[in-house]
Amino acid sequence: MAQQSIKDVIADMLAARGNTDPIEADEPIFTSGLLDSLAATELMMTLEGDFGIDLADADFDISKLDTLADLENLVKQAA
Amino acid sequence: MDANPIAIAFAQTNWGIIVLHIALIAAIGATGRIAIPTLIVIAATLAGIAIFPKRRILIFVTSSLLYVLIRPFRLDGWTDVVNLQSQAIEASRYLVQIPSVIMFLIFAVFFLKAMTWAPTKMMAKRPLISLYLIWTVFLLLAMAMPKGSIAGAFLWTFVGVMVSCIYFLAYSAVDERSKVKTPLLAKAGLMRPIWGGGSTPIGKSFGYLNKFDAKNAEELAVTRLKAVKLAVWSALLAGLYYAMEYVARDLYELPTLTTSILANAKGESSIGLNWISLIYNYFLDLVIIAAWGHMIVAVIRMIGYRIPRNTRNPLASRTLAEFWNRYHFFHKELLVDFFFYPAFVRYFKKSPKLRIAFATFCAAGAGNFLFHAARDTHIFVDNSMWKALSMYQSVWIYFLALAVGLIFSQINPYKIKPEHGFFRYEIVTRLNVCAFFCLVKIFDGITNVGTLSERTEFLTSLVFL
Repeated sequence: MAQQSIKDVIADMLAARGNTDPIEADEPIFTSGLLDSLAATELMMTLEGDFGIDLADADFDISKLDTLADLENLVKQAA
Repeated sequence: MDANPIAIAFAQTNWGIIVLHIALIAAIGATGRIAIPTLIVIAATLAGIAIFPKRRILIFVTSSLLYVLIRPFRLDGWTDVVNLQSQAIEASRYLVQIPSVIMFLIFAVFFLKAMTWAPTKMMAKRPLISLYLIWTVFLLLAMAMPKGSIAGAFLWTFVGVMVSCIYFLAYSAVDERSKVKTPLLAKAGLMRPIWGGGSTPIGKSFGYLNKFDAKNAEELAVTRLKAVKLAVWSALLAGLYYAMEYVARDLYELPTLTTSILANAKGESSIGLNWISLIYNYFLDLVIIAAWGHMIVAVIRMIGYRIPRNTRNPLASRTLAEFWNRYHFFHKELLVDFFFYPAFVRYFKKSPKLRIAFATFCAAGAGNFLFHAARDTHIFVDNSMWKALSMYQSVWIYFLALAVGLIFSQINPYKIKPEHGFFRYEIVTRLNVCAFFCLVKIFDGITNVGTLSERTEFLTSLVFL
């Protein structure tokens, strides 16, 4: 099965919480409350498991994961 | 109101801005939860920002600096410490307090500078842990000073100021890594924002606030309308709180939870009264925390930052984790940002459940305990070490139970879903959440009133044991 893009992962998480509106690339996802800290842990596990990103090695900073653009950058850097 | 085009258009006019500001000040004043001098400072600051919007940061940082110099503490316990310490050296309170605050602000500037001077060092990577370590050194020094000494008076005051501002400084330190840069002196000046509140930074830091900044005149008008709405909610909830207090204390002489715990220990209470007192205390707590949080968020929104509410319908929660998120959002954020995430990315990465459990324990258990224990260290000033430590005897049960409950809530594979039926999904889940938070509250409190055995006895009395 082809790997989901990070955009699809976020869209699925939002949909699971009843939010199907499209989000802008620079729109805060977690700090705005669109997704909560439980979703953040789910996302972190997806980033590690599916995208091979070691967040501890990357000197993890939660603000790096707050927008779609941030996440796409993180995935691009790890690729 | 904030979606009505006529209201939005009016809120952008000069008269609209004046009306909204007056309405907000009247509403937060009506809560009765804010001192008149503080209300005047807030009103003057908001008026200044409305008249000179381009000088917004300068105005509210200047007001916040004035505020931290005059009222640096979040707890009366620390104010009492400074009063006693200054009396002991026959000096006025402000002669001790103001230099101590200035010393702390200078320390804050150097600490923030250190984030860019040495970004790879522990201080930059783990700012809160570093601040705790530095604070502990000052605490030990203060404890080692002879009673009534000048050095002791200044050190205790510095310790009190630092622990009151420590989380604001930690968030500002994290901000140094963010893309949007705010002048360092402004960050160091935001140690006691004019919107008040406790040691938990509602609104976190400039980096966080900037993400919610209104981008144009229409967004600012909507944000201000939301601010007024929230302030009115705050006043209504404060009114409800006073009414509940009046009914309970004056009309029916219902004891507070602590009084019930003590009465139960003496055999002077009944199981029915214990339950009523416990449940009433739970609802009083929910109402007042919502009123208090709404008031603070309303002021922040009036400045132009549309941050989320601190309390958002906690009774709707179906899980303990959801309740924690809805009850005191910014306190949960503090614990998640500084304890949960750092533990989550480092430990037990091969075992997802253990990983979540440990990180949750670090946040809700250890981190939460550390937050409250450090905040209340003023009890060490006038008590022996053992007596002071004994005051923490029941509160660790509270944090342990909270952590265990939250861990279970997150890793429990059996979730109640809508298909399990209306009663189980809509009612039972919510009652479970209420019951858990009601019961753990029995152990909440760093005090020498109500020992661990008295509180345990109260808990067992509820189930006829």
